[in-house]
Order: sequence, then C-alpha cells, then structure tokens
Amino acid sequence: MRSLLITSFLYVALLGSTNGAEQVTVVVGQGATDLEHLAAQELVSQFKQLFDANVVLTDFLPDKHQNLVLVGGPQKNKAVREVVGDSWPKLSDQGFILRSFDAGDRRGVIVAGDSPAATYWAVSELGHRFGIRYLLREDIYPDQQPLKLSGFDELMEPELKTRTWRTINDFVIGPESWGVADQKKLLRQLAKMKFNSVMLSVYPWQPFVDYEFRGVKKQTGMLWYGERFPIEAGSPGRTAFAASGEFTNPDFAGKQTYEEMTAAGIKHARGIIDEAKRLGMSVGISISPLEFPREFIKAVPGLENARGLKDLTVAPGAKLRPDDPVIKELVATKLRAYVETYPKVDRIYLTLPEFPEWEQHAAASWKQLSNRIGDGAATLESLIKTARNRSLIASGDRGEHAIKGNVVTLAFLNELLADSTVLQRADGSRVDVTITSIDPALYPVLDRVILPATSTLNFIDYTARRIVENKDLLASVPANKVRSQLITTLADDNVGILSQSTTRSMNVLVDQIRELGWDGFSTRYWMLTELDPTVHYLSRAAWDPTVTARNSHDDLFVTITGEQSIADRLWLGFGEIEAATELTDKNNIGFAFPVEGMLMKHYQGQPAPEWWEKLNEHYTQAMIEFYRSHGPADPRSQAFLFYYAKRSEYVLEYLGCVTAVRAAAIAKQDGDIDGAIEQLETAIESLYNAIDTLGDVAQDPSDRGLIATLNAYAYRPLVAEYERMLDAQ
Amino acid sequence: MRFRSIYGTAIFLATCVGSIGAEDWPQFRGHNAAGISRESKNLPVEFSHEEKVLWSLELGEGIACPIVTGGKVISTTMIDDQTFGVFCLEAATGKELWRRELDTGATPAIMPPNAQASSTPAADGERVYVYFSTLGMLALDLASGETAWKHEIPEPFYLLGWGAAHSPIVYKDLVIFNQDDDLTPFMIALDRRTGKLRWRTPRPEMLAGYAVPVICKANGREDIVIAGSGKLKGYDPANGKQLWTCNTLLRTIMTSPAVVDDLIYVSVQSYGDTDRVLKYALLQWKDTNQDGKLGKDEFEKPFWAKFDKGDVNKDGFLVEGEIDAAFQAPTNMAGGGNIIQAIRGGGTGDVTKTHVVWNIENTSPSNIASPLVDDGRVFVVKKGGISASFDAKTGNEVWSKKRIRNFGNYYASPIAGDGKVYVMGENGFLVVLRQGPKVEVLAKNDMGDSCVATPAIADGRIFVRTLKTLYCFSEDAK
Repeated sequence: MRSLLITSFLYVALLGSTNGAEQVTVVVGQGATDLEHLAAQELVSQFKQLFDANVVLTDFLPDKHQNLVLVGGPQKNKAVREVVGDSWPKLSDQGFILRSFDAGDRRGVIVAGDSPAATYWAVSELGHRFGIRYLLREDIYPDQQPLKLSGFDELMEPELKTRTWRTINDFVIGPESWGVADQKKLLRQLAKMKFNSVMLSVYPWQPFVDYEFRGVKKQTGMLWYGERFPIEAGSPGRTAFAASGEFTNPDFAGKQTYEEMTAAGIKHARGIIDEAKRLGMSVGISISPLEFPREFIKAVPGLENARGLKDLTVAPGAKLRPDDPVIKELVATKLRAYVETYPKVDRIYLTLPEFPEWEQHAAASWKQLSNRIGDGAATLESLIKTARNRSLIASGDRGEHAIKGNVVTLAFLNELLADSTVLQRADGSRVDVTITSIDPALYPVLDRVILPATSTLNFIDYTARRIVENKDLLASVPANKVRSQLITTLADDNVGILSQSTTRSMNVLVDQIRELGWDGFSTRYWMLTELDPTVHYLSRAAWDPTVTARNSHDDLFVTITGEQSIADRLWLGFGEIEAATELTDKNNIGFAFPVEGMLMKHYQGQPAPEWWEKLNEHYTQAMIEFYRSHGPADPRSQAFLFYYAKRSEYVLEYLGCVTAVRAAAIAKQDGDIDGAIEQLETAIESLYNAIDTLGDVAQDPSDRGLIATLNAYAYRPLVAEYERMLDAQ
Repeated sequence: MRFRSIYGTAIFLATCVGSIGAEDWPQFRGHNAAGISRESKNLPVEFSHEEKVLWSLELGEGIACPIVTGGKVISTTMIDDQTFGVFCLEAATGKELWRRELDTGATPAIMPPNAQASSTPAADGERVYVYFSTLGMLALDLASGETAWKHEIPEPFYLLGWGAAHSPIVYKDLVIFNQDDDLTPFMIALDRRTGKLRWRTPRPEMLAGYAVPVICKANGREDIVIAGSGKLKGYDPANGKQLWTCNTLLRTIMTSPAVVDDLIYVSVQSYGDTDRVLKYALLQWKDTNQDGKLGKDEFEKPFWAKFDKGDVNKDGFLVEGEIDAAFQAPTNMAGGGNIIQAIRGGGTGDVTKTHVVWNIENTSPSNIASPLVDDGRVFVVKKGGISASFDAKTGNEVWSKKRIRNFGNYYASPIAGDGKVYVMGENGFLVVLRQGPKVEVLAKNDMGDSCVATPAIADGRIFVRTLKTLYCFSEDAK
C-alpha cells in the first residue's frame, strides 16, 4: 500500500501528464496507519470512477493546489495540521469530519476521523455523498460527474456506538457456508457501511477450537450439524455450482478427520478475525459455555444429553451442582482454549442456553444473585410468574424453564469469571465479556446480576415483529448502567427459506434503543438475500436520528435506480415481503425452517390454511413490483432488482409446491392414488422451478446453500414419495 | 408417414457452395427453421458433456444456436461486455479456423434469459451473416472471417425491455432479416454478395416478436412467411410486398413457424387471455408509479414520438384508448392465449377465413420453443417438460400433457434426425425421444451447464451450445 505513494519528484511529473482530466491530490500523513492508507487508497479508487480524475496519492502537502483531499486527523497528518491549525473539532474515537477548506492557494476537503477506523468511514461517507451506494455484495456508482470538493461541513458521531455483524452461525444457508475469501469481500462492504464489530457465533460441535479435559479430547468438529449436501447431475439448480459433486464451504473442502477439520476451522476463523481487524473492527466470539460435544459426557459426572437439533451436545443436568468444581474446571478449560486459539479477539460472548435444562438449582442460585442485587430483589416466584405470563415465545412452561435456567447459569458464570485468569491472554491482558440472552425478566436488575465491566447482548424474541410487540421490555434495561446491545433479527431461520424483510420493524426498534441510550445492535440473519435495504437503513440510522425506513429506502433506491417512482414501487414490494414475513411469523413461525422434513411435514391430509392464500398474494404482489421496477431502472441496478424479482418468483413456486403437497396428501387420504400422483407431479414441477429459479440468480454461498438445502430436504424426499406412490399404483 | 421436404432439399442444394458431401445446418434450426436433419445417420442417443464428445470448446457466454456450413461450425459469444466474438471451427475436429472479435460499444439492457449474443447467424457456403444489435448485419467471409460487407440496421427497442434476438436467413441471393420490435418493425432483404438493400417492408402492425422468417412453397410460389403479432403474413421475395395475411395469431410471437409442403404450422403461448391487449401489459409493467396512466417519463426516449401520437388530448399522459393508439395498431388488437394452427400457404389477400386448415386452443405450446413438425405429427414441449403431439393433417391429439422426464424451462426448440427427437432443457439436460406416436424417452443426457440455444445436427454429429461451451457429439468419439 505504502509503495503506491508518490514522491515529490514523481508527483510533478504525474501532474504534467493528465490529458485534461481533473487533477486531484490525496494527501495521507507520513505517520498514517495501514487502515488510513487503505482509506486513502479507497478514496483514490472512488475518485477515479466518480470523476474520471487523475488522482495522485502523496504524503506531503503541495504548495499550490485546488483539489486537495487530506485524509486522516491532525495527529497523523501534518497537512491537516497545516490547514486547520487549532480549529480541529472535538471528536470521539468514532467521530469524523468532511470539511471543505480554502486556504488561499490550497483548496480541497479534509476527510478525517479521530481514529483510523473513523477516517475509513469518513472516506466511505464522502463516497456516499457523491452518490455511491454500498450494498452487501457490491458498490453501485453514479454517472461520472463534475468534481466538486467545496461545500462540505459535516461532523458525524454515531448514535449507536456498537454496530455488530454476526457471522459463521449454523446451517448450510448461513455464513457457515462462506469461505474466507467471500467473508472478506462482505467485511469490506460492511466496513464501508460503518459496521465496527464482528461476532463469530460458533457452536460446540463445530471445528473452531480444540481442547482436552481429564483425558477426554474433543473429537467432534463438523459443519452444518454433520449433514452433507451432494449436488448430483440431476439436481435442480445445479447450474449455480461450478461442478457436480458436493456443496462445501471451500475452506473445508476435502477435510475428513477431526484434526483436518479443526485446523481448517481455526485458519478460517482467524482469516475472518484478521480481516475484520484490518478494517478497524472489534471482534468477538460467541459461544455457549455450558454445552459440549457429546464425548465430554465421560468427563464430568452429571452431564446429560442436551436438547437441540441432532442432539449433538451435552450440558449440566439436575445432578450436577453449580458449585461442582469439575464442571467449573471444564468450562474454564473451554474458555481458555478459545482465548489461546484466538488471542486477537476483543471479546467473548457467553450465551445462555436457548433451551435451559439446568434449572433445578434455581432457588439456591437466585439466592446468590439476590445477594448481589441487594435491596429490592424480586422473589424467584415473581420472576417465574412474569416469565410465564409474558407474550414472548419463551413464555408459559418455556418461560419458566428460561428464567430458572438463566438464574442458575448466571450465578455459575459469576463465580467462574470472578477468577480473572479464566479469560486472560498469554500477555496478561483480559478478554472482555458480554453475556448474551439474559432473560427479560431480569432486565430491571441487569446491571446487578452480572459482574462489573461486563456488557450484555439481549435477545428478546426470535423476530423483529415480536420484539416490536414487546418493545416495553427495551425500556426495562438500565442502559445507562450497563452497555447493552440488541439482537436485531433481520431474517429468522424459523421463517426460514422464504424471502424476508424487517426494515419497518427495525425502524421502530432502532428509534427505541437510540432514545433509551442502548449501546447498539447485533444482527441476526442467515442469508443476505433481501437484507440490503434493511442493512442500509441500519448503517444510516446508526448515525442520524432523522433517518427512517422510508427515507433510507429512497436514499438507496432513488439513487441506484434513478427514479423516485421506482423507489415507490420497491417500497411497496418490500412492504409486501415484510407483511409476508410477519404473516408467517404469526401463523406458523417454523413454516420453512431449513431442516430435514421441512417440506414433507406439510404432507398432511388437512385443508390448506387460509393464510397460505394471503401469503401467496403478498409474494405475488412483491414479484410484480420488483419486475415492474426492473424494466425502467437504471441499468446499473437492474441485475440487483432482477435478483429480488426472481427470489419472489422462487417463493411463489415453493408455495405452489407446498400447496400441491397438501393436496396430494388429501387425495392419498381419500384413496385417490391417481389424484395424489398428479398432485405430487405438480409439486415436483413447482419445486423444480423454484430451485431452478434460484439457480438463475444465485450470487453467494448462502444462495447456493439454499439450493443444496432444498435438494436435500425437499426435492429428494418429495421425489421419493412420488416414486413410492407410483409403486403403490 | 415419412416424407422428405423437397423444398428443404432444394435450399440445401442451392446453398452448398463448395461443400459437396457435407450436410449443412445453415441457420436457426437448420433448413427453413424446420429443426430436421434428413442426412444424418447413426446419431448418438446416450451422451453427455463427458461422454461421446468428439470435441468441445469453451467459448464464453452465448445463447445463439450453432450453425454448420461446408464442414465448418459457426458460433457466437460475448468475449467481454463490449466484445462480440464469432468463431469458425472445423466441424470434424473443433479446430479454430478463424475468429472475429467485434467491438460492440455499450450494449443495451436485456432481459434474461435473453443475452447479447443471441442472434443465430446464417450462412450460404461463401459467407456468414451475423447480426448484433449495435453493429447491424455483417457478412464475414467463410474462408477467412474478413468482413465482406456491413449493413447498418436501426437498433431495436422493446417496451418491456426484452432485447434483440432476431436471426437472419439466406434465401437464394438474399439475406432476409425481420426485426419486429415495438418501435419500427420491418423486414429487409439485402443482396447477399454486396449487402445492398434490395427492399425494405415496414410491418407497422407488429409488436415485438422473434419469429424467424420461413419459406413456403405453395400455389406455384415461394413466399416469405413471418409470424408476428396477431397475424401470419406472406411476402413476395422479389420485392417484399405483402401477398396475404391470416389474422388468427396472438399478441406476442416468440416461436417460429414450421413448414411442411404447403402447410405452415404455428404454436404460440402469449400471456393472458384473448382480451389482454398490449395496453394491459403496459399498465402492469410500465406504469411505474401506478397512477393508472402512462407518463412520458415512463418510456425510453425513442418511444416519445409514438407517445405523442397517442396523446390525443396532449395532457402528457396516455390513458385507455390513447395507449392502444400509441403502441398497438387499431387493425391488430391481438390478445393473449394458447393456439396451435395449420395454415395453408399460397393465398392472396386476407386468408383468415379461407386458409386455416385447423386451429386448436390448447395449453400445450411454449411461448419460446417452436413446434417440430415431422413424420405427420406436430410436437410441442413447454415448461416442466410437458409435451404434446397432434396429427399434422387434422390437429387431432396424438398425446397430451406427457412429461419427458425432465423438469425446468424450455427455451431451445426440439429438433429431429435419424428417427429421434432431441429436446434441450434449460437445465442442461438433453432428452432424446424415439420419434413416434407415443412418448418414449431413450435417454436424458447431461450437458453440464444451462442451455438456451437450440442444438444443430449435421453429418451425424450433434452440436450443443451450452451457456459457455460448444460441444460436438458423435458416435465416432472415442
């Protein structure tokens, strides 16, 4: 990067060879960091595309120049000191300015933040002001325009200080399928959208850490719950894959043994961490501290099989007391393994179990926590009553399990983490801790049930709509006393493989957490698909309280399509998608959860529920709006809009398949084998078309993972049933 | 009944300059766009992108059909965003004989599955005639690839953004090119030696469509026949004058007719019911702000003159009848539907009531894959791999809605040879059927990649142009 800097001698020569193009000099400080150099390089690239300018990158301030861009703050860039003197504004480490200057013979703009990351964001913000729109997979540039560096006087500070992107996660449709190369591309886009934190969400059975405890060595290291996804020659959608064979995360291709998988996994995770760090992001790893691969059942008496997909883990059972030193030692071993493997991470997120079963000791644990809380601590009974009666998914019996399990685990972790060596790096420094998914019943005393200097990442419910319905809970978090982020579900895995949108709900939630002084948000999603408008909203609203779902939508789509009327159509289209998302969430949240049996669970001899028809209408209208927008849109955005249109088309075909599957089951139940076969043929054709449609526009590993999922969990079982029926005939 | 097209043979003989002994497939879907090889024997049945490959060559993205002339294969591609490639290969070996890389400039928007390199060239044994939307028509010397001549052709415009995909044909000493777009539809005939315009016939009643012209010999004449919006028309090749019109077609015609003896077979699926004239499509897709009227800014600039013509009250908007008046000819308010028809050629004037031999409304036709008429039957296939067959004389159903065991879309048209029918699916599987009165799948062959182009047959070889690669299959392959 630094080698691209132009010396003063070459500088004069280059300025003399510009063929009439605008001449721009970008000045980066001699003491600039790598990230500031990267920012300057990004700016050079943008200016060439935006203005067809002759752009020279230097580290000195030319005597006379009308088009100067000074990158970086006065501490690192002497040129900025020369220009602004003592008038540098007070900024936080995330704050930045875009400020035009006119200093006689020198004119231009200062693009600088108080930290290297903030300077990088300043550059991306300048690009945004010039009409570049940053999407999750690409940048869309406006037409070339006359260069204008005057008129900038912006000082930006974030409204939400922590903007976290979650990755790795689970399922073949999720980022677990992305190789580092694709992850890096995405991270670069996110950095331009001013995300400043990445959370690697990993699970006990995955191959990202290795540890041994009392002679039991971790032996489980698998992706996708151990499932494999062959793509055969006859698989629909196979043209989206380079070759037939098996869909894999490229970083794990050909890895067979635990050792090979784990080595690949660690390399993979470190690759993500290094890139995020390079881009100025903080990095955390999220783990479930009390779950272990099944082989550890031998290590600690009292560990039991835990509930979960494929039953891959063990967790403390009723006979295991929270003060048992052996379980404490096992958890500490696991945490140390993560810290030793990933010393560059800033933070460990300790996630409380989704299905808590370690609840038998809740009374004793609550006593411990009550002592921390002091006066005014509620009784456990009242907490249980609150949890049972609320309107979250975790209510009723599940709510009771949740609060009890939370109490036990929290008390356990407080004891464990009191030992400061547990999360200590080799150099003696300590990794920060964030506790994730504390039960909402504990929000009013959040600051007192966790250790000092611990922050929280709060999961209220699975979907944005459900959180909006329970948004009062947000106000019960003492955000002024404990740093709190909200898990914002952009697309839920239960709603699953359908197109989803949540921008309008997100608007409500962001407004709320901003007003309440929360620290920020952390995304939750599996596929990128329809996320661009929502992520664009988050990226803008985190810095500007006047940003709304609608005006950020226009900011994105008017700019890239060239027409307000097209943005209007797309607003309606995404509105339909959001309405469909909410309809599914309300009626059957697991309608399209991407697991084995996902399609054939609808093979029941009961009439199709009425809401399916409404769902169909929403996606039909969305498809019409997307196609309607596609035609007249600026060519630069057409591929982008075509993707949405085809995605809606895919969903409609999938819904057609589900409806035919239901009709086939009814015919079968009625003894009409021919009718059942005919309906199954219709279902197969619809599903084939659905997958093929995805294949036409697949853009990233999640898109291909979806094709693999549909082949494995829908197409093959459906064809198998069809063949069984043919045999019966 | 097996038969041999006398006319097809005549064309074949007339165009085989310097290629004695080699079977040609000289244009879209071979001789007269029929999709039938008469000479090829021992065509392979079971083959794949890894099996019975005589040769293959990765060309880059393209959806135009390969053609074969004088033992040479011509195929086109987009080498990059603004470079159109024409490849000439030795048919027996795949050896590259020449290639042309033509700068296209910025290409217009196009709606997938259409693509920029979509027009199928035509050849006459001396030259290859290639069309590209921004370049017009070029004649390339078959031996060297050098440009023999170039004829500028106005760039087409499509209200719904489909993009160009028209293909030329060679008839005697003419290169005939029909460009039914939504702006200025016309047909031209160029001197195949010089590229000079012989005649130009406007087709003002037409909307965008992609039918390739065919030749019908009937009533002592050889007519150019073109299927277009609402009307099948016959023209005099000598001067381009319209001889007859049969006003029984539908609004959007993307399939090409097939001719057997003096009968012209057309199969069409056009979106919507019979009342769905263009206006409704425009209000659905072009009325971006959905105010129920069409503003000028909702159209590309080239359409503004038409817009002004339709804007009778000059309020800057088109509503109801004004939309019709602007874009669809009042004499041709065709709607949607599904039809298969046999129309006798050789008529004069309006033959709507006199020359329709049979006409059935049936949901079998594809909107893009053309019918195959051979062995006394009309064969059609559409999305989902659903096929149907009709008696060519009567239109009576031979079979209906039979699956050919391959789902997905069908953009390529079926072709036949050596007693077999080859049906190329967009999913990259080529299904081989035994030609006969019932569906009998002989093989389902994996081409390894998506495929939109109709394959070609010549000299016992099958040429398949997948999205990226050209394959030559033969029983002679090791």
